[in-house]
Amino acid sequence: MRIKKFVAAALAVTMGLLVLVGCTETMADVEQEAQETQETQEDADEVVVADVDYDWANFTIDPSLIPQEKLDTTVYLAVSVRGLENPYYITIVDGVEMFTAFLDSIGQQYELQLLDSGGSNDVEINNMRQFLARAGENAIIYADANESATVPALASAVEGAGALLATVWNRPEDVGPDAFNDNWVIHTTADNQTAGRETAIALFESMGGEGQVFVVEGMLGNTAAIDRLVGFEEALEQFPGIEVAAQGTANWDTSEALRLVETWLTATPDVGGIWCANDSMATGALQALTARGLEGTVGVTGIDANEDIVEAVKNGLVVATYSSNAYAQGSFSFAVLYAVWAGLIEIDELPSEFRDFFTVGILVLEGNAEEYMGTAPDFDFTRIFDFKAD
Amino acid sequence: MAKVKQTQMTITEEFAAKVKLEYKREKLMKWAPVLVLVGMIVIFAIQLGAAFISPLNIVSILNQWSIPLIVALGLTFVIMIGSIDLSIDGSVGMTGSIAAVLVLNSQNSNNLGVWGLVIAILCGVFVGFIIGLIHVKLKIPSFMVSFAFMNICAGIGLLSYGGRPPTIQDEWLVALPRASFIGIPVLVWIAIFIMFICLYIQECTPFGRHIYAVGTDETIPRSVGINVDRVKVMVFTLAGFCFGVAGVVGAIRLGQGQIAIGTNLMFPAQAAVVIGGTSLSGGKGGVVNTIVGTLIMTVLFNGLTMMNVSGNVKNGIQGVIILVAVALTVKRGAAIISK
Repeated sequence: MRIKKFVAAALAVTMGLLVLVGCTETMADVEQEAQETQETQEDADEVVVADVDYDWANFTIDPSLIPQEKLDTTVYLAVSVRGLENPYYITIVDGVEMFTAFLDSIGQQYELQLLDSGGSNDVEINNMRQFLARAGENAIIYADANESATVPALASAVEGAGALLATVWNRPEDVGPDAFNDNWVIHTTADNQTAGRETAIALFESMGGEGQVFVVEGMLGNTAAIDRLVGFEEALEQFPGIEVAAQGTANWDTSEALRLVETWLTATPDVGGIWCANDSMATGALQALTARGLEGTVGVTGIDANEDIVEAVKNGLVVATYSSNAYAQGSFSFAVLYAVWAGLIEIDELPSEFRDFFTVGILVLEGNAEEYMGTAPDFDFTRIFDFKAD
Repeated sequence: MAKVKQTQMTITEEFAAKVKLEYKREKLMKWAPVLVLVGMIVIFAIQLGAAFISPLNIVSILNQWSIPLIVALGLTFVIMIGSIDLSIDGSVGMTGSIAAVLVLNSQNSNNLGVWGLVIAILCGVFVGFIIGLIHVKLKIPSFMVSFAFMNICAGIGLLSYGGRPPTIQDEWLVALPRASFIGIPVLVWIAIFIMFICLYIQECTPFGRHIYAVGTDETIPRSVGINVDRVKVMVFTLAGFCFGVAGVVGAIRLGQGQIAIGTNLMFPAQAAVVIGGTSLSGGKGGVVNTIVGTLIMTVLFNGLTMMNVSGNVKNGIQGVIILVAVALTVKRGAAIISK
């Protein structure tokens, strides 16, 4: 018995020491990384000043300039997303497949992989590490990070492997790709504030600028939810006749939005419009209205341009939705990464406004809904910055 | 001789008095959830006035009550045998998705009508049966098996519609959320129907009594020749049936099939069952407790939403009420643990 206890104690002490040693190393790493980052930042700043004249907006991939050696090397594309239960991500993947068709057309060898984090930060980073271990410096990655906080970890992992990364939507306020490292090539985001503002204006105009509205917010604390709400509030200031009757979060979720709107409707049955921070919640709001026989008479707006909501816009049941143009977000991000990977762009020369920018969105109204649904987008991936908003 | 007899009498009397006292205390505890519910209704009615008790709001409370009720009913029996079922989010989402994919919808050419719904519910039944079977035969704790199935079902649900949620287009299914019978929505009637089935099972069938027996101490029913394993598998199957129905009702209510129908149903359901007074250690509680528990959760959400309480505060208040309700019923749990 006593021997067992001694062994246990010895083991515990050893483990404790190991943990301490591990921490010290990690701390040293972090410091070193921070120093390197700072150096990179200084480098980047110098280069930007030097190349300010080049017309980057019209940069075009010329396939004849890509060396045969590169074309024969397999480039590994990874799409890292939160989970495929959201139709938005399916559209992202569809867009990426359009881009791989482009790679086929120029004779580039490639392999495409989906990394599904299931909403977990750990899984997201582990997936990324495993993928990088296999693909190494030939990896180009489009990551829709779970949270802003995971982005630096992803960028560091990518740097360690010498691969290239494009992020979308979330990034920490104070960390951008041009200041961080040369491997985190671009960060793009659809302009949530514009989306929130334009859908709100469309809603208020459909109400004749007067009446009460419900506000169904996205997940509290989420960057997209906050920005969209800011856009809504901007629009609200322009319409003094509009009054907010009820406001709350439905966590991006259809069922929760249904419950919320159902309850609000009993307190405010004569509401004029419902602004929702995304289309999944607009689906729930519309269903609550339908159950009361109010569909079409009370205006609803969403953001994201989900299929069912675009259909409802076409049928006049929903006033407007806003497309962040998911087809373009993933595919054009890869086009930029590919241009860098193929050696057509020296990352140092790319000015910061082409490494961190808003992408073009589309306001879908009754007038253009049919057009939006009917046409599968036809992108020219050689013009890699076509998805950048002005 | 006489002295001994007297002592015996005293012991019997003492015992009787103790039983009486415990019975009294238990009775008080039994009514605690109901008191919480009534108290909440009174407070909301004072705060919100006529709007809260208007027929429109009562209908919306009933609407919001239906799915959590069906889910919690299935879960009640599982908890009564001292097990747990964590598969809810997945299995409810899966059956809802399958139902929407099989009836006339926007994503494919299927049009099975009612049969689509039946098949979807049977999928739920099957999942419940498999969970029970694995739990009993492979002797794996139920929370592990059901947790695994939560993920499996979520995966199947997602695959069934390939990421693009199908909108239900079958005319009578589209009309169903609006339909009502004597002022109460048809979907609520479905929940009430399930409620009576569960009540009947619990009160009037040998299976119902076996559930209590297994939950209290499984060696006793085993020693009198009851097939305990069979009872357990049947309980999980019944739960699967309830989750299947909840998924189908959820899909009809949303007019759309998506895995999110089941999202965030599990913990509120567990909370509702426990708030109602069903003990997590098994053997106590039942359907009526769950009815009260789910009503507490629904009325609370509805009232706070009507008062326009902000999301963060709402979560906090919900937590506090759950704590209070459980604290009021906790003595009963302590008695069981000390046994």
